Amino acid sequence: MKLSCLQENLARGLSIVGRAVSTRSTLPVLANVLLATDNGRLKLSATNLEIVITCWIGTKIEEEGAITIPARTFNDLVSTLPQDTVHLELNEQTQTLHVSCLRTEANIKGIDAQEFPLVPEPDNNHRIRMETAVLKQIINQVAFAAATDDTRPTLTGVSTRIEGGQLTMAATDGFRLSVRSAHIPGYVDDPISVIVPARALMEVARIASDDTEAVFISLPEGRNQIIFDMDNVVLVSQLIDGNFPDYTSIIPKSYRTRTVMNTAELRKACKTAEIFARESSHTARFNINPGDEITPGMATISATSAETGDNVAQVDAIVDGDPIEIAFNVKFMSDVLNVIETPQVALETNSSREPGVIRPVGDSDFIHIIMPMHFGT
Amino acid sequence: MSLCLVIWYNKIMPIHVLPDQLASQIAAGEVVERPYSVVKELVENAIDAGATTINIDIRGGGRESIQVADNGCGIPAAEIELAFMRHATSKLETAEDLAAIHTLGFRGEALAAIAAVSQVTVVSRAVGESSGTRLLLEGGHKVTRETVGAPQGTVMAVENLFYNVPARRKFLKSEAAERRLIDEFVSRYALAYPQIRFRLTHNGRISFQTSGNGQVLDVLTAVYGPEIARQLLPLTEPDPEAPAISEKAIHVTGYIGPPSLHWANRSHISLFVNGRWIKDSSLTFAVIQAYHTLLPVGRYPLGILFISLPAEDVDVNVHPTKVEVRFRHANAVFGAVQRAVRQTLLAETPLRAMGAWSVPGGASHETADWGGSLVPPVRRAPAAGQQDGLGLDWSVGDMGTRGETAVSADTSQPDVSLGGGKLPIMRVVGQVGASYIITEGPDGLFLIDQHAAHERILYEQFMAQRAQDKVVSQGLVSGTAVHLPPSQATLLTENLPLLQQLGFEIEPFGPNAFMVRAVPAILAKGDPAQAVTAVVEDLEQGQEPLAEEIEARIIRRVCKTAAVKAGQTLSRQEMEAMIRQLEACQNPHTCPHGRPTLIYLSVAQLARQFGRL
Repeated sequence: MKLSCLQENLARGLSIVGRAVSTRSTLPVLANVLLATDNGRLKLSATNLEIVITCWIGTKIEEEGAITIPARTFNDLVSTLPQDTVHLELNEQTQTLHVSCLRTEANIKGIDAQEFPLVPEPDNNHRIRMETAVLKQIINQVAFAAATDDTRPTLTGVSTRIEGGQLTMAATDGFRLSVRSAHIPGYVDDPISVIVPARALMEVARIASDDTEAVFISLPEGRNQIIFDMDNVVLVSQLIDGNFPDYTSIIPKSYRTRTVMNTAELRKACKTAEIFARESSHTARFNINPGDEITPGMATISATSAETGDNVAQVDAIVDGDPIEIAFNVKFMSDVLNVIETPQVALETNSSREPGVIRPVGDSDFIHIIMPMHFGT
Repeated sequence: MSLCLVIWYNKIMPIHVLPDQLASQIAAGEVVERPYSVVKELVENAIDAGATTINIDIRGGGRESIQVADNGCGIPAAEIELAFMRHATSKLETAEDLAAIHTLGFRGEALAAIAAVSQVTVVSRAVGESSGTRLLLEGGHKVTRETVGAPQGTVMAVENLFYNVPARRKFLKSEAAERRLIDEFVSRYALAYPQIRFRLTHNGRISFQTSGNGQVLDVLTAVYGPEIARQLLPLTEPDPEAPAISEKAIHVTGYIGPPSLHWANRSHISLFVNGRWIKDSSLTFAVIQAYHTLLPVGRYPLGILFISLPAEDVDVNVHPTKVEVRFRHANAVFGAVQRAVRQTLLAETPLRAMGAWSVPGGASHETADWGGSLVPPVRRAPAAGQQDGLGLDWSVGDMGTRGETAVSADTSQPDVSLGGGKLPIMRVVGQVGASYIITEGPDGLFLIDQHAAHERILYEQFMAQRAQDKVVSQGLVSGTAVHLPPSQATLLTENLPLLQQLGFEIEPFGPNAFMVRAVPAILAKGDPAQAVTAVVEDLEQGQEPLAEEIEARIIRRVCKTAAVKAGQTLSRQEMEAMIRQLEACQNPHTCPHGRPTLIYLSVAQLARQFGRL
């Protein structure tokens, strides 16, 4: 293998695939990045066996070949190289990659490319096209609600359902639920329903640059994988086996109180409450008062800590229904407010023990549910 | 057809009563499992006979011979054959006696069982008889009987154990293993009966002996060596007001090791109930729990506990070997044990002295990793009768009340003179290596690990806060179903109100299944089903549910927030503030992980090192 490419292209490619590198593995080759010539381009690939990220960059190839080299060493080296042409040359005998750029030279010891796990190829026939911006928004609004601990593997994934002309993603960690749907071009005859690891989706949202117009999603049959094709980058993720809880029955059909507030104001009030709620399991009380002819409706958000003190913040609200006092994990509230883009947000509640529903006003495709907290009897 | 088969079968193998010999051998299997069981039965008989001297002579790990000689009441010549009959005993007469057993043996099985599987020679002269009797039995059958001259008491010699049960003989453990068991057993009984003179010899060489002067501490010295025996703490009598009515009759006495003595297993916790050594995992756990946070993770304390309670409140007739017992008020016993140990620990925990000044001897036992030994405990003026050879009583704890300096303004401390385990008032001298604070106390100097000390301070603060906090529960998006085994399900059903107080919302959901609707917010990270299982397990073990989980979380938080790390330079004000807070701690001697917070170096030790003494 002998080739040359631009330092900035190489550095960008490495930063994209770097997230899939497994840092703690018993398999040494997983800490490496695969370098291979592929149809006149250089293919970089890394995997932790759960996801594979592959990235192609433009190069001038003089000799074909492939090698894997320690990702961290190579990445650190490339980032210090001057912005110029980088020459890579593999010594087949010693499996050593010679790197040179202007006056810098280095030799990195590698592992045979044969040992690297096989990288799946995207399926170009049955693929679904999604606009990058739409996909990124869905992921950002849903994936954060997935569980982070591995005790319940199903909940670390995002339920992804494609039916007719619609894609719906949902995630829950047992205490909150985020559901978002979007239209997709074309029509899918057989409904698809899979669980995609939230981590993989977050990577997709990170990698997919706004320059790429669309992302192509394919689910090769019988492989239990999902493939996201983004121009020069392909991410393949294993799917999670299991049954995602049926969330449709959890979403309340009606409400007794609907409180519409300014998203930014509420976000700020929650941030303040977080300071004091930190020590007491993030509990914040939401006191909602419809007001009357003279006084306007108001939502009062308060938090108390035996250690640090307490705070009260008021937010103007248009309240439709009965007054209510309900407590939420204010961190959950902040999380959802951070991904709501509409200027106004509605909180729908029934009682202090029933789920609170958060909807962006004017965007019916997104719904978020937070289970209330309550104080012991 | 099938009928024919049965008849055919019966013809081949008719049902018949087993010959006496075979029945005895089968029964012997339960009681006499190995040489050690013979020693146990014979020694218990000797103790029941009121002996004051018991000599045990073992050869070949008990395979060749076991001889137990006592000076007890002896067996009357007329009854000596009867003693070897099955279900023959002098210790029990009516069924009522079974309800309140005062002797170690009572089943009348042991001698018969031993005789059935070995060659027994017994020489005994009973009190008031002029001559003794010598009886020789083989496999339970009398071989010879003669009248001989003998001292008062009984000598039992058991030879060729299992000579007629080759299967058993084949499966015996090594001589060393048997020897270890016998040694352990004899030292246990020596502890329980300090007034009896024990002598144990293996192949003619003395392995262990006690003086029989009634001093438990002397026996402890014989068992554990002087180095450890010196450090042991006698259990303090519980507060007269404290025990509940049900515990009135339960007395716990004995000795426990200081937190600096610890082993990798639980075998150094010995429990005796009314003079009988027992195995009880729940009471062992009570002892270990009393050491909570005082020992490093995975290490176990030393404890010799004598529990006395009315004979009718304990059932020893659970198993032929009688090492398991049942308590009528198991929880009360658990509580009494735990309270006695904890109270002693809090009041008596000695300060750790500098390793360099400790008496060498760490090789014979595993002391703490930091190689610490102990100095006499800092405690309040001793109650009469508390000077049991542990050395001087230093009433340093009283210093707090003198309040000589400005620090007496610390009024937040409720009653310094009562806090036996608390620290004396200290003056900050300075900081070493940006990691340790040196302070001067009333009678020496203290080296304090600033990180460990701060961890202890924060831990106690957080625990106090937690006690005040309201319980918050977090609802679940969709209920989680939990399936439990029937016994746990019953326990959970019984305790549903308690779980609700903790912040759970659980509904019955079919047989042995429950639906969890909400969990305590403090447990909101993780699987709700696991949280429920953890609670049920706590309940099963008789622990306060979730106490451990919550504590673990608090310790984790302490570790995260403990601002003062080693290597951080502290100003004098900071050091003084920390020392004041440490003085106020309930248990200032260890950090929540069980590492020591301070090392003590007395003026006397300094003087000795400088050759002034």
